[in-house]
Amino acid sequence: MIEIVVALFHGDFVRFDPARKVFRDRVLISKGHATVALYPILAHFGALPQAEWDAWGKSPSVLRLFGNNSIPGIDVTSGSLGHGIGVGAGMALAHKRAGNDTRVYVVISEGELYEGSTWEALLFAAHYDLSNLTVIVDVNSLIILGTTDDCMALNPIEDKIAGLGLTVHVCDGHDFDSLISALSGKHVGVGPRMIVAKTVKGKGCSLLENKANWHYWNPITGEQIEQCRRELA
Amino acid sequence: MLQRDAFIREITAAIVERPEIVFMSADFGAAALDDLRARFSQQFVHCGISEQAMIDVGTGLALEGKQVFAYAMAPFLSLRALEQIKCGPGIMNLPMCLISVGVGLGYADSGPTHYVTEEFACLRAIVGSSIYTAADSMTAALIAQHLIRQPCFAYVRLDRDELPAIEPAAAMAFVENGYRVLGESAPNKIALLSHGKMVHACLELTRTSPDRFFSIDLIRAKPFPAELVRLLSQTKAVIAVDEQTPSGSLAAAVFEATSRSGNFVRIVPHTLPETYVFENGGREYLLKKLGLSAEGILQAAKNLG
Repeated sequence: MIEIVVALFHGDFVRFDPARKVFRDRVLISKGHATVALYPILAHFGALPQAEWDAWGKSPSVLRLFGNNSIPGIDVTSGSLGHGIGVGAGMALAHKRAGNDTRVYVVISEGELYEGSTWEALLFAAHYDLSNLTVIVDVNSLIILGTTDDCMALNPIEDKIAGLGLTVHVCDGHDFDSLISALSGKHVGVGPRMIVAKTVKGKGCSLLENKANWHYWNPITGEQIEQCRRELA
Repeated sequence: MLQRDAFIREITAAIVERPEIVFMSADFGAAALDDLRARFSQQFVHCGISEQAMIDVGTGLALEGKQVFAYAMAPFLSLRALEQIKCGPGIMNLPMCLISVGVGLGYADSGPTHYVTEEFACLRAIVGSSIYTAADSMTAALIAQHLIRQPCFAYVRLDRDELPAIEPAAAMAFVENGYRVLGESAPNKIALLSHGKMVHACLELTRTSPDRFFSIDLIRAKPFPAELVRLLSQTKAVIAVDEQTPSGSLAAAVFEATSRSGNFVRIVPHTLPETYVFENGGREYLLKKLGLSAEGILQAAKNLG
């Protein structure tokens, strides 16, 4: 997830207006629990005031686990899965009809492919040929109770999306070159592009890596936190 | 004229000068809509039979500064898309007007999947919603004018059927105040409070027994009109007549509004029973059988003296 948003914001896909301290393009983290990945980036660009960044993790703070549009730089309130593509499609349609070049990026989890509203929105985006919309699906093959293959098969995701007529790019979601190549990929079909970013949950932390139970809260010791930091350093 | 046509005509008239207006439909039609979408195709969005996606897409449009009108058959716009309504216009407080057609037993020929007899409670519970109900086409048109001028998160309940025009005719002041009094109010009378089609049954009873009853057409149930609380507190009792199931019906709104203000009015809920209705026979037949007719309301008043 971190690599995905770093590629978006530091790979010049999401454009920043330094004079107004706002982004010209939209990034919706539909998997709202991952919105925290944006906070250091927003602070880095200055979209999020330094005082708010300094208050992160303290009380009171506007920054919380799930993003909401009261936070400077956050475009949408998210948390409930399955809304992001529809909201992004509405934004993309508004800009397309206005003749703007604004790009809309929506990051979803593969778990959101279980939600019917996701498919309704993909049909909509394809029909309205929203080529200014890019959906990035973070595929780590884990949901809360186990692997997607064991719990309820989603694969082949690429074929199902391509079946809607969308352009699909598959990439390594931890490799910047691969992500940037996919984000630069040509749009050859109708509707939005879908980037299938293959990832490993908790990558880099032996305590967390590829373990489904870290979807929800586990007791963690200070020593384990330090271990994760050392391994990620 | 059907209420939906009256409502959409107002939007069509305004859309010329208002490029920010977007009208969305989940494959639900109207004669007036055919005109709107033909003339203003760039401000019309067909969403397929996908009410959930319509609300999400409308949320995105509203976040980009559009004034959104989302239009669909009431059972599916309300309950199927309820969580989208909460997360979009609700949580983000967006100027989206949801136009819901066929409330109550409006789809009497279709059965309980199409009955819209719980949505008032559900939509009223969403934070920030305003709820309007039209009892005739003139009122529908005025609600549209009001919401075009003052965009907000609104849920508009329209009847499927063409209902007779009510006298005195609706005026913008009634819409802005949120209600109109039909008949003469008095402290010794029973107020028949209702909205939508039920206003007509109440009015029938008010006309036959004007010394005992007067009617109130509650055009805006939420926020509940503050002035109306005072009026209700000066009546003998209130019969809240609603084409909804018992839990969370209009009576609950009256109770909340009056008791919060310290006015403890005697309230009699008069609603559909706690059951899904499978019997056929048409809406009038069902309403009469289920007690939501002038005769049934009179029965509800029998213990009130």
